Amino acid sequence: MDANLRFHWMLPKGGEVAMKTAQETNRVLTTLSSSPAALPDMQGWVKFAQSAEQSGIESVLLSFSRYEPDTILIACAVGAATTSLKFIVAYRMGLMQPTTFVQQINTLSGLIGGRVALNVVAGSSAAEQRGYGDFLDHDERYARADEFLTICRGLWNRTGEVNFAGKYCRVEGAQLNTPFLAPSRRFPEIYVSGHSEQAQRLALACGSSWLRLIDTPEKLAPSVRSFREQGIEVSLRLAIICRETHEEAVKAARAMLPDEEISRQERAILSGSDSQTLKQALAAADEVGWLNRNLWAGLVPYYGSSAVTLLGSPEELAEIFLEYKRIGITQFIISGWPKLDEMIIFGHEVLPLIHRTERASMSSAKRTE
Amino acid sequence: MNLKFHWMLPKSGELVVGKPQTAKEAARFRIESTSRDSPAARPEMDGWLHFARQAESSGIESVLVALNRYEPDPLIISCALGRGTTSLKFIAAYRSGLMQPPTFVQQVNTLSALIGGRIDLNIVAGSSTAEQHGYGDFLTHDERYARAEEFLAVCNRFWRAEGEVNFQGKHYRVEGGRLNTPFVAPDRKAPEIYVSGHSQGSERLAFAQGTCLLRVADTPEKLQPVIARARVRGLRICLRLGLICKATRAEAIASASALLPENGDENTTRLKDDSQMYREGAALGSATDRWLSPCLWTGLVPHYGPVWTTLLGSADEVANAFLAYKKVGVSEFIISGWPELDELVTFGEKVLPVVREAERRTATRAESKRQHAGLST
Repeated sequence: MDANLRFHWMLPKGGEVAMKTAQETNRVLTTLSSSPAALPDMQGWVKFAQSAEQSGIESVLLSFSRYEPDTILIACAVGAATTSLKFIVAYRMGLMQPTTFVQQINTLSGLIGGRVALNVVAGSSAAEQRGYGDFLDHDERYARADEFLTICRGLWNRTGEVNFAGKYCRVEGAQLNTPFLAPSRRFPEIYVSGHSEQAQRLALACGSSWLRLIDTPEKLAPSVRSFREQGIEVSLRLAIICRETHEEAVKAARAMLPDEEISRQERAILSGSDSQTLKQALAAADEVGWLNRNLWAGLVPYYGSSAVTLLGSPEELAEIFLEYKRIGITQFIISGWPKLDEMIIFGHEVLPLIHRTERASMSSAKRTE
Repeated sequence: MNLKFHWMLPKSGELVVGKPQTAKEAARFRIESTSRDSPAARPEMDGWLHFARQAESSGIESVLVALNRYEPDPLIISCALGRGTTSLKFIAAYRSGLMQPPTFVQQVNTLSALIGGRIDLNIVAGSSTAEQHGYGDFLTHDERYARAEEFLAVCNRFWRAEGEVNFQGKHYRVEGGRLNTPFVAPDRKAPEIYVSGHSQGSERLAFAQGTCLLRVADTPEKLQPVIARARVRGLRICLRLGLICKATRAEAIASASALLPENGDENTTRLKDDSQMYREGAALGSATDRWLSPCLWTGLVPHYGPVWTTLLGSADEVANAFLAYKKVGVSEFIISGWPELDELVTFGEKVLPVVREAERRTATRAESKRQHAGLST
């Protein structure tokens, strides 16, 4: 087997680190303008980020929406308070000119030792996009993202002035003096999210990794193989509930179901989205609930599409992660409730088991050489 | 109200702690920093933080952070520097046309919440056509002003309106705009918006959407008409200038003359071909009289542009010049020096105390006048 699996975690929303129950973190409450999620939470974030560094987590993902602070600036502030943690900054193409975007990302890289990667999102809801001044439909947004990233790549390559005239983006003689500054890279890693065909094409054309929701290894295997053959990694988004036994984990998961009113409102938010990812996840939740013994979609209607949950004992979970590794998955971006507690459990109970197996297989591979 | 003094943030790497520069070296660094081989391309926090903390202890209110393709991004720099300081404010220069206004507001609001509201904006329509093309902006000079006006109109609605923002203009369209992150500051709900006003278009933009008109220093008499126009509309006036303060006027003049380029033909103003202010500065050319007043010198302007208009003299002369501007209605200044740090220290030690003392005396006089008036009625 090749390199070690890489584990990233979702950065909690503003105020979330101090929240007592999972129910408080649901989408209905955190999108209210009175929610603490609207404000930066440096105290909670720095505590979380330092704990992530100690737990063996490589990066945190910062989500982008109109309900939360800007991800690039948050990465700048939290990056200054940490030393090794990386920041996967979610951004939507179409909100700024590619040259400006690259100038901001490059500046950020120079300030935090290159610890920045991108999660490219084409946009999740047409209504939210219109509030940002973006009136393209789902498919056009992907076409624009392709042009946008082509210009970004040109600027990162630093082989002279960039000239590009597309349908959505155009630059002439573009050049930036501030380079992407990292110890080992000339441009950031790019995670392209989305289940639609357009998203997959974009990942192949412009990404370093396709980022998708977790599903069963059997269902994922064919597309993972195809991506890997084309030189693109595949990363999975999932939630995790790890308890001493499988039964306890199931019990903890069920305890997270919210009351009916929240559930009704959340359903209304979800049905307004034009995201393929979300539609598929919701269908899974409605039709099957359990994708296999350890993978539950029951929380998706209340906590969003990334709440497809892997649950079980530490031994079960470690084995499952290695199973995904065998089909070609290289990275995971994880959530939990509460995020901090679940991350500490993961770093303490699950990750050492994975590392032990990876070390063993590495040395047995060496012996056979 | 006391005068407010802001300073230009040195270019990245211009200030290296423990490595003093001559005035000439500092000037050279600044000229080269806006060129293809800019030495200021990488953010250098050590020098900046040193400068920012000195600015705080020298009584400086804000630093102006420039935007161009040769240097790092000013919003991100303001964030990093703001996290390392406690009272200094940041006037970040930005141009319309680089991002959607709601995204810009989301970034500015996030920044305000991270640094205690210490962020203001200098909105520029764009200075060079070639540079704007590289940013994906293909509008003409005049269209850029119209767009900037729409840009700020949308931003101001987010800052001032309750509820969703709807806007339909020629350049921007927003439907159901809403951002949960507010502008967070102890004493206001929106940043100050500085707009340079040297052309009709820019003055209109400033009057329509700005809170402070930014002008290159000229004599108080020459500035009076524009000051009157701005104050009628409720705008404050801020002057940009270079400063050379020495023990005597003669020494200040000698320092200033030493900054003239050895190659008399040197001219960097063509880089900003779209700016009326720069065109006028270049046209000043070999005009014989380079003294606008006994302490205001434009000798460097034909070579490096209008913002190199220099106020020079002894501490008392310079302080009196600032106070003369105050009398005609100027409320603040953005200053540069060569090197920035040395001039900043001199200003804080020698000039600012004289200005503040005079302001105290005036305030006391006004107070006792008020009391007398009160007694006699």
